[in-house]
Amino acid sequence: MTRDFKQIDSTVDVKTPENIAFQYQVVGPFRRFPAFLIDLCVRFAVWLAALLILSLTGAFAGIDGLGIAIWLVIWFVLEWFYGGILETYWNGQTVGKRLLGMRVLQVDGQPINGLQAVMRNILRLVDMMPLIPIGILFGIESIWAIPSCLIGLVVPVLNPRFQRLGDLVCGTMVIAEQRGWVNKGVAFDDPRIPQLAALLPRNFSVSRKLGQALASYIERRRFLSAPRRQEIAANLGSLLLPRFNLPLNTSHDLLLCALYHRTFVESRENPDDVRPTIGLLSQEATRVSQSQGTGVTS
Amino acid sequence: MQVAKLIADRQRNWTELDRLCNELERRRAKKIPAETITRFSFLYRSACADLALADTYQLPSNTVQYLHRLVGRSHNQLYRARSFDYQAWKTILLEDVPQRIFRDGCVQTAFIVFWGIFLASAYLAVSGDVWPDYAEEILGQQQIEMMEANFADPIGRANSSMNSVMAGFYIYNNAGIGLKCFAGGLLVIPGLLITIFNAAYLGAAFGYMARPDVAAGVNFFHFVTAHGPFELTAIVLSAGAGLRLGLSWMMTHGLTRIDSMRETAKEVMPVMGAALILFLLAALIEGFLSPSSAPYVVKAAVAIITSAMLMFYFVVLGYPRKTSSET
Repeated sequence: MTRDFKQIDSTVDVKTPENIAFQYQVVGPFRRFPAFLIDLCVRFAVWLAALLILSLTGAFAGIDGLGIAIWLVIWFVLEWFYGGILETYWNGQTVGKRLLGMRVLQVDGQPINGLQAVMRNILRLVDMMPLIPIGILFGIESIWAIPSCLIGLVVPVLNPRFQRLGDLVCGTMVIAEQRGWVNKGVAFDDPRIPQLAALLPRNFSVSRKLGQALASYIERRRFLSAPRRQEIAANLGSLLLPRFNLPLNTSHDLLLCALYHRTFVESRENPDDVRPTIGLLSQEATRVSQSQGTGVTS
Repeated sequence: MQVAKLIADRQRNWTELDRLCNELERRRAKKIPAETITRFSFLYRSACADLALADTYQLPSNTVQYLHRLVGRSHNQLYRARSFDYQAWKTILLEDVPQRIFRDGCVQTAFIVFWGIFLASAYLAVSGDVWPDYAEEILGQQQIEMMEANFADPIGRANSSMNSVMAGFYIYNNAGIGLKCFAGGLLVIPGLLITIFNAAYLGAAFGYMARPDVAAGVNFFHFVTAHGPFELTAIVLSAGAGLRLGLSWMMTHGLTRIDSMRETAKEVMPVMGAALILFLLAALIEGFLSPSSAPYVVKAAVAIITSAMLMFYFVVLGYPRKTSSET
């Protein structure tokens, strides 16, 4: 396992058996805490429900106080195995995690197994430490203590995947599962853009980096005011205008739009250069076109 | 290369995959028809390929982000959490775990610490000459009174309605102690403190009850004898496993601290699994046999048999073998 982390945000790269790398967003203590609170409430609700049901059925008064015994066993299971059992049979989620769209995975992106799920939840006890005795805090005599949760807060901050101690021991992490959406593509209604695109030199090919820069500029463009657009577009536009032999007073914003239009929207002479058909998306096809892709762009 | 058209093309697949993802999330794996799964895996592979080629296609960055999320979600539906692998556990529990426990210094340390303090504490509580008020100081007067009240009636009589309640409480309490010993062991000092405290406490309770002048003593031993071997051994095992885990990030043997911890966790987890099984067995005995009115001979026989089983497990199955230690 490599130990150099290049990330500056909270995403981690995962390589799958399909030989593809994709990104997960790991979640830190502050996003996990609400889920923990929800789970706490659920546990309390089940505990209370068990108490009510067992007392209503009269088991408490019945044979040998069997009801209380069952209730204590339920309490024990809830306290120690609630998370472990749910994460095993619910594919890495507890009620709280499910409601807030999180999931536990192994650090390599594989699903967790039962033992990991149980163990990481038992080790939660350590996260509660150090305990602050109420007696010392208020100067009264009491055996109770408040969990300060300092370890659970400090340890995740010190490692790039925000793992708590139980996660570190079991090699698991908690990721956010979000749904994204695709932009419908950017349509330009300004008639000057296709005209300007036609004036751009045919032999100029947009490199991968430049393509990415253009795409992210165009995507964000509609949120920017006109002076701000000019300001940002000037960085690239002032370099490109002399290269394209265009008049230097051309709008930089317009130029970038035109370049985007030509690269991404307009059809080119040989459109099928690197596109495999959808039916042939085996790994082999992927590898071939990947090597073609790097050949073209490098 | 028309990116806009390409995205529009593929988007049908992506939204279908998205929809299937939601469907899989809602339903149990066994209830999903085979065609859906085939279709899902096909769509997943093609989304993977799209993501792999995103750079070449020069897809806009938020589409790439969308694909990352989509592929991530589908991946989690395709590869689901494995539950407990019962088949593999047979080998692990009958071969690996006893041998590991037999040669594990931490389990031995925990064994000596726990039983040493337990016995010393029991002796102090029984004798009353060396340290007259020992049991009262450790247990507290209130606790002693409560224990005496709990065990005042003979076990298993119809009128002593507290018996299965006690069984439930002791399952809750004692298995909890074991798990706390384990979890606290990760930080070494809390683990040792919990272990030492509970050894002293339990020892004092046993010692106090063994005093000839304590009337409740007979009932107490009537109750604890049958499940004692399993439960106390399980506490020792969890304390040892916790200690091993705690030492792993101090003595790393050349690995980084986290890697060392992770490697040790792989070894320790089956041991902890064995401890959990012991707790479960102890709980079964505690729930059904201990509070019953079965004669003391039966309970003592169960205690002897279970101790013999434990000895067999740790010594005979655990004795180091050349062939298995080399492989």
